[in-house]
Amino acid sequence: MKLCEFIRPTSLSEARDKLRELGPQGMALAGGTALHFLQDQTTRRAVDITRLGLSFIRKEGDFYVVGATTPLADIQRYRAPDWTLHEVCRRIATHQVRNISTIGGNICRVFPWADLPVVLLALDARMVVFSDKEEEIVSDEFFDGQPTQRFADGSLLTAVKVPLLRAHQGFGVVKVSRNSAAFSLVTMAVSLELDGEVIKTVRVAAGGAVPFPRRLPTVEAALVGREAKSEVFREAATKADSDVSWRGRESLSPDYVRQLAEVSLHDALERAVSFARARNA
Amino acid sequence: MNQYPMTVSFTLNGEKRTFATAPGENLLDLLRRSGLRGTKFGCGQGTCGACTVLLDGRAVNACLLFVGQVEGREVCTIESVGSFDKSSEIQQELIDGSAVQCGYCIPGIVMSATALMKAETKYDDEIVREYMDGNICRCTGYEKIWGALRRVLDRREASLAKVEGSGSKS
Amino acid sequence: MGNDPKNFKQVNHSVTKVDARQLALGKDSYVADFAPANALVVKMLWSPHPHARIVSLDVSEAEKMPGVKAVLWHGNVPRIAHCTAGQGFPEPSPYDTFMFDTKVRFVGDRVAAVAAESAEQAEAAVAAIKVEYELLKPVLSIDEAMAPDAPIIHDEPEAHVPIPIPYDPKTNLVARVACEAGDFEKGMKEADFAFDDTYETPYAQACPIEPYTSLAQLDSSGRIVITTSTQVPFHCRRIVARTLDVPVQKVRVIKPRIGGGFGCKQEVLLEDVVAMFALRTGRPVLWQFTREETFRTGRTRHPMRVRIRAGVKKDGTITALGMDCWNNTGAYGGHGLTVVSCSGSKVLPLYRCENIHFDGKVLYTNLPVGGAYRGFGATQAFFAMESTIEQMAEAIGMDPMEFRQKNHIKSGEGSPIFAALGEGKEGVPMTVGSNALAECIVKGAEEVGWKNRTDWRSKSGRYRRGIGMACLMQGSSIPHIDMGGAWIKINDDASFNLMFGATDIGTGADTVLAQIAAEELATTVDKIIVYASDTDLTPFDVGAYASSTTYLSGEAVRKAAAEAKRQLLASGAEMLNLPVETLHCEDSAVQNADGSKKVSYADIAAYTLYQKNQYQIFGTASHITEKSPPPFAAHFAEIEVDTWTGFIRVLNYISTIDCGTAINPALCEGQTEGGTLNGISYALTEEYIFRNGRMTNPSFADYHIYSMRDRPPIKAILVPSYEETGPFGAKSVSEICINGPAPVFANAIYNATGARIREFPFTPERVLNAIKAVKREA
Ligand SMILES: Cc1cc2nc3c(=O)[nH]c(=O)nc-3n(C[C@H](O)[C@H](O)[C@H](O)COP(=O)(O)OP(=O)(O)OC[C@H]3O[C@@H](n4cnc5c(N)ncnc54)[C@H](O)[C@@H]3O)c2cc1C
Ligand code: FES
Ligand code: FES
Repeated sequence: MKLCEFIRPTSLSEARDKLRELGPQGMALAGGTALHFLQDQTTRRAVDITRLGLSFIRKEGDFYVVGATTPLADIQRYRAPDWTLHEVCRRIATHQVRNISTIGGNICRVFPWADLPVVLLALDARMVVFSDKEEEIVSDEFFDGQPTQRFADGSLLTAVKVPLLRAHQGFGVVKVSRNSAAFSLVTMAVSLELDGEVIKTVRVAAGGAVPFPRRLPTVEAALVGREAKSEVFREAATKADSDVSWRGRESLSPDYVRQLAEVSLHDALERAVSFARARNA
Repeated sequence: MNQYPMTVSFTLNGEKRTFATAPGENLLDLLRRSGLRGTKFGCGQGTCGACTVLLDGRAVNACLLFVGQVEGREVCTIESVGSFDKSSEIQQELIDGSAVQCGYCIPGIVMSATALMKAETKYDDEIVREYMDGNICRCTGYEKIWGALRRVLDRREASLAKVEGSGSKS
Repeated sequence: MGNDPKNFKQVNHSVTKVDARQLALGKDSYVADFAPANALVVKMLWSPHPHARIVSLDVSEAEKMPGVKAVLWHGNVPRIAHCTAGQGFPEPSPYDTFMFDTKVRFVGDRVAAVAAESAEQAEAAVAAIKVEYELLKPVLSIDEAMAPDAPIIHDEPEAHVPIPIPYDPKTNLVARVACEAGDFEKGMKEADFAFDDTYETPYAQACPIEPYTSLAQLDSSGRIVITTSTQVPFHCRRIVARTLDVPVQKVRVIKPRIGGGFGCKQEVLLEDVVAMFALRTGRPVLWQFTREETFRTGRTRHPMRVRIRAGVKKDGTITALGMDCWNNTGAYGGHGLTVVSCSGSKVLPLYRCENIHFDGKVLYTNLPVGGAYRGFGATQAFFAMESTIEQMAEAIGMDPMEFRQKNHIKSGEGSPIFAALGEGKEGVPMTVGSNALAECIVKGAEEVGWKNRTDWRSKSGRYRRGIGMACLMQGSSIPHIDMGGAWIKINDDASFNLMFGATDIGTGADTVLAQIAAEELATTVDKIIVYASDTDLTPFDVGAYASSTTYLSGEAVRKAAAEAKRQLLASGAEMLNLPVETLHCEDSAVQNADGSKKVSYADIAAYTLYQKNQYQIFGTASHITEKSPPPFAAHFAEIEVDTWTGFIRVLNYISTIDCGTAINPALCEGQTEGGTLNGISYALTEEYIFRNGRMTNPSFADYHIYSMRDRPPIKAILVPSYEETGPFGAKSVSEICINGPAPVFANAIYNATGARIREFPFTPERVLNAIKAVKREA
């Protein structure tokens, strides 16, 4: 993709108007790091959205609210009780890339390797989208297909709202890659709620080795009401097959990736459970 | 056709500068053709760190940034960090610690380490690894670079702790 | 090193690298830093096909595009067969390459080049070139290359090798080198245990962080000046002159600082094109490869198949050692023969055995081109060898370390292989001089905790630890082939200009050679001004390869410095009016035995340059070597295998090395640490992934080398010895270390899990499958 103009609006509505006016020629530019992956020869006009006051993290009611242009590095550095997003952000790309690329950029155009959508699906996050007014979209809906379509009319993501963890709730994410900065082979995220030793509710999401990040409902069904222990996790993980078909990654075969995904899912469940136990200890 | 139809203004190494540029130009190309060649090209894809500069104090890949993104902001390059008469502490440790082999990665390493020292006050190994994970060196195996960084950071952490310690007493 | 018997003052000290400060400050140092603002930019149209004939090529539109100054293609350049590999001359390699050809032989082969005012304009023009290809059946493996009806990759009549060695392009055979010592078959029969296993080693790219870069411009007299990121400036001059059909006299090659080479820049891949463009346009011309081009078109490590047949007796005697290698050199044969020769010559002598067999074949394929790469053939063969040694030890129930201690070559011993295998001709008979391998093994074993190592059968659970080791050797220079020259002159203030052809590619060679000069001259490194690798201004040197710089060029420098010293003594004697035999050099002065009479070098310089019987104190020398003394190394590692996923974590890596006298211990450690880490990622994560002959992962995002966050702890341990034939006891250091990790990990994986893996990289899938196979057997 090539840029032929660089526009710097100073307010959200100005940015939206500009994008509306430009139509398919325009494009919201946050960190701009994704453009290097778009190898098409189209020419676009960039509308810089990093100067609209959308870079923040704050607690509001039952949510952590993360501004859409907050760089991943800020999310990684942020610390607060039961804050969970840093775990995955510290595993994305490199320090320099995390300093520029934003949470919005990571989720508004989902690349196959994108890690944040997986985590946001598991955490049941809400995306705040501004067109004429602000509207909240739940993660299941937001990631039901490539979100770019949603922004074709000049709408913008303004924030991501992550629900605070309830009592007895835990979260775990596992990203497997060949080295620290590499794209994900498999990313698995889990949030679950324990009732004693029994899993009361659970959300499981997968990314990396699947065409598009998604929940694993069959696995979730196999976990609810069961005891939170390793054998149960392994057994439930084998069910993932009925939710997704695993793709080969790099030189690794689909069959290997399936096994890796199952182990990663097991490990993410283990982490979520110990997270939940540690909080309630 | 004018190759550089637009201008961009930003603070470069402490000085306000305006450059003729094109919307698609990246900061690395702009810097190098403007005579600041200490910032290196290694991949142009944000994967090696040879082009690391500081943007408002944070380490970023100059090759990934469109010049328009730095408008009004502050860019620091390796040229601002040290001179023959006075190298920065990190540069001096890298030199003394035989951490410079081919040297191609070193300006980027210096910039990332500089950002780390500016941003943090505690430098445990995991934090250092996270700050330095975007600078690839193919020559050294990182042992000597790591040693040099540790020496600088340990000294700095100790002196920060001292300042803090004396502050709390008063 | 505290216990230095020789009392060295300059060598064997970790003096600061002479160029460290300029590099740390980011001063103009590398090729691209010197490009004038008006330099044209080159972009190449590369072949998208592994094997095709160019039926038609139309550059007319491209030539008319804005900013375009010239286009080169097979229709408008001389057609001269040459070899791009920078080696001794005449090369033991096929002349099978043309500046541009009517056939393309791999994805990334040249089709046509554009020089334009800007990169965008050059790219646009490249896109406007029209090519029609006739697709030919590609040869995508060594098995396909050897098939009876295999397509012929080099069917051009010009392809030939300039010296008489086997070359049969009709069967895709680039070279064959074989030898036998004793009676191999008899040795196999005498064995209590026999082994016959085949190993496969993969492609890899050296990944210097500075991509290939070349700049050419015409000087005021019309000569072509090429500033280039090369390991071989003098070979580059010769090859460019040949390819452009201009006299060598017309070409000057300058090597500035280099951002890493590791072997892959021992090749002339850009220089002919920038030089031709400079001639055609009269403009400075810059060409820098992208990272993708560096992966696709840049030189790679030859993938190799190595079959080892070997026998051992119950008492631990190795009765037979046989190695058959099939070397995939890709589309062009530059380093094919020399690499496979080293697979034999740098590996087989490590263990005593009377009955040896070696047969190396080199084959063309339509895959990326193999070139020089640190380790150079030994890397591939050591994986097979050190895996076999481990199995031998297990078969006879001996500790694998003890088995190595019993069998490895010792000081004073020779090997029939030394004489039998050279590079393109027979080798040179040699007995090993310095050898501290025994001590390397002891120190490394202690550091890794070898004595606590337990059998894999006693291990259980998901995560299993294992300890592995390997012993290694390499060489130092190519005897009777490589030559290095040096000269040195004094200045008014007793500083010295030291000039040599040797090529520092980031290794610290300039510093090491300055130390050698300073030691010989009894002065200090800060008094030495180094200028190197400029074909107009410095003497000849073959360049940076074959682990030769310290050992070969270092001795040339020492001899040149000795000659300058002789002149200093003579003039000092004249000034002091004392017999020269009573004088010696110390602390930058000529003095008598007790130091009561002395004259400083600065005074001698003033005297000889300005005052009486004036002359320039000037030493010059060249050196060729009689031997290629091996450095030795023992590597150890502890790893942890996740038996559920096959992932490997390196907990600790010990890299011991005997490099003779470490001229600069810190730099020797640096070489060892860096080479070891490169070997580690080569063994674990680096991979060329192909689809129909096209590499699908040509970027650091998809080709995984290690960052500081991935780095496992590596401990380099220098174990001193003294090589009598080397400058101040030195031999080579930089290559050997990369050979260790693959066999060390293979052995450690076995020790952790009982799985013996004969192909790397050890991807998690490979490891997991091997572990499952062990379980099935049990
Ligand atoms: C070398 C490298 C490695 C990487 N590795 C990983 C990895 O392993 N895992 C991972 O998850 N990510 C990874 N990334 C990051 C990821 O691929 C994207 O580059 C990044 O997340 C994009 O963020 P950005 O802020 O730069 O977005 P941009 O590049 O600015 O924008 C991306 C897209 O989103 C749109 N957009 C951005 N913000 C908004 C908004 N607020 N509203 C509407 N539309 C918007 C843009 O129009 C554009 O289409 C990597 C990046 C690089 C360069
Ligand atoms: S050149 Fe920018 S990261 Fe490599
Ligand atoms: S010193 Fe060469 S890449 Fe780091």
